Amino acid sequence: MLKIRDLNVHYGGIHALRGVDIDVEAGQIVSIIGSNGAGKSTLLNAICSVVKTSKGTVEFKNKTLPKQINKIVEMGISQVPEGRLIFANLTVKDNLMMGAYLRKDKIQIQKDLENVYGLFPRLLERKEQMAGTLSGGEQQMLAMGRGLMSDPDLILLDEPSLGLAPLLVNTIFEIILNIKKMNKTILLVEQNAYKALSIADVGYVLEQGTIVKKGLASELIKDPVIQEAYLGKKKV
Amino acid sequence: MTTFFQQLINGISIGSVYALMAVGYSLVYSIMNFSNFAHGGVIMLGAYMGFFALAVGNLPFPVAMILATLGSALLAIVLERIAYNPLRKRNAPYLYFIISAMGASIFLENLVIAIIGPNFKTYPKVFEKEPFLIGTLALGRLDVMMFIISAVSLTALLFIIEKTKTGMAIKATAYNLRASALMGVNTDHIIFIVFGLGGGLAGIAGVLFGMKYTVYPQIGFITTKAFIAAVFGGLGSLSGAVLGAILLGVIETITAGYFSSQLRDLIAFALLIFILVVRPMGIMGKQNEDKA
Repeated sequence: MLKIRDLNVHYGGIHALRGVDIDVEAGQIVSIIGSNGAGKSTLLNAICSVVKTSKGTVEFKNKTLPKQINKIVEMGISQVPEGRLIFANLTVKDNLMMGAYLRKDKIQIQKDLENVYGLFPRLLERKEQMAGTLSGGEQQMLAMGRGLMSDPDLILLDEPSLGLAPLLVNTIFEIILNIKKMNKTILLVEQNAYKALSIADVGYVLEQGTIVKKGLASELIKDPVIQEAYLGKKKV
Repeated sequence: MTTFFQQLINGISIGSVYALMAVGYSLVYSIMNFSNFAHGGVIMLGAYMGFFALAVGNLPFPVAMILATLGSALLAIVLERIAYNPLRKRNAPYLYFIISAMGASIFLENLVIAIIGPNFKTYPKVFEKEPFLIGTLALGRLDVMMFIISAVSLTALLFIIEKTKTGMAIKATAYNLRASALMGVNTDHIIFIVFGLGGGLAGIAGVLFGMKYTVYPQIGFITTKAFIAAVFGGLGSLSGAVLGAILLGVIETITAGYFSSQLRDLIAFALLIFILVVRPMGIMGKQNEDKA
């Protein structure tokens, strides 16, 4: 579904992504793990044309992605950005409606809105509230709900567990599995490597802008090198 | 007491026109994060468009008003394309935008001096001189019309911002341009609309000021008042801008009425400094955000 080949990004003098190849098949959860500054967010932003790529191609459903940010969502991709970037000055409901900005099918939008409220009952309770008054966890839910409202085929999740309490982190990962069941494909970028690999089908390890390892998530999670570097387990 | 109410009503009337200018300022600021000092140039040309439509074209007042509104909206859009868009494409620092805005403002002023001349021009009489009498209050027809036209225009703007999908996108873009683009919003298009709306309101304000006073190339200086009003209310907040503008209008006319009209601007600018020191975010401004 998503095919990334030899992707390179330069920020001024910094070579942030160095020839990254990634494949995401329909219906999968693909997790990209890596430490701070490895280039994870840059990768998602390069897919969405938020940052310019200096070399390489990104194909989605065999089509090259357009270079304007606002055209990406038309292709069926939605990004749930790092830091959530919800619209604090709009109500919860209006935030969700912004997710459906390009859609015209009112009946289907209403159905999807109800689905999102079903997935996140807290958002229903707070639908008339200003989004800025939500807690961090609720804001993450809102950002994910908003990402679903464009009815995308592929969702890019950027560090959804960042800054959340451990219990909430579990909830968020359960919800990601539920989103998968809604026939969505998910590309997840996470520092919480254990959680990210435990729900994923395929995993990639990104280090200093390069993919150093890829494989089935169930195998990566057992890999001793990964266990030591990312999962906090010591070599026996 | 009659004098007080008289001054109060005059103040609200003037304040409502300040509000027309202040919301344009505030709208642009909320999205682009810089003070559009060229707004005054748009107001000035709006005033001239209205003048020529009435005095030379002999057009009826409503037609002149619509022409000046549309002309000013178009001018603001063209200005954005020429003076700001290239900077936006390069992610230039905000200071560059401000300098470009000042340049555009000086350019427009001198363009008018060169083509039309530096002289003051007086609008032909549109409204009768006799005031409306309510009890002992005498309300100038022009003052009443200024208030009505401003109130209708501001209500229309509020409707667009609060009740339409485009308005929702404007608010979203003002909060976070990138997140808005990720939702599929064409933010260039939103900026285009915002300059059009702000420019249109500036044109209306220009005609109203032209009728109340006279038209001259430096009339755009009056936007300093709008700037004060917008800062007073809280930059980026539309309701704040309206509130700040009305308050400023009332404070000015009361000062002029009870003390001296020469103290008017002194008081207005003292107020600006006072607010910046005591409450930099304004009455309704956002406190926690660094949008300077």
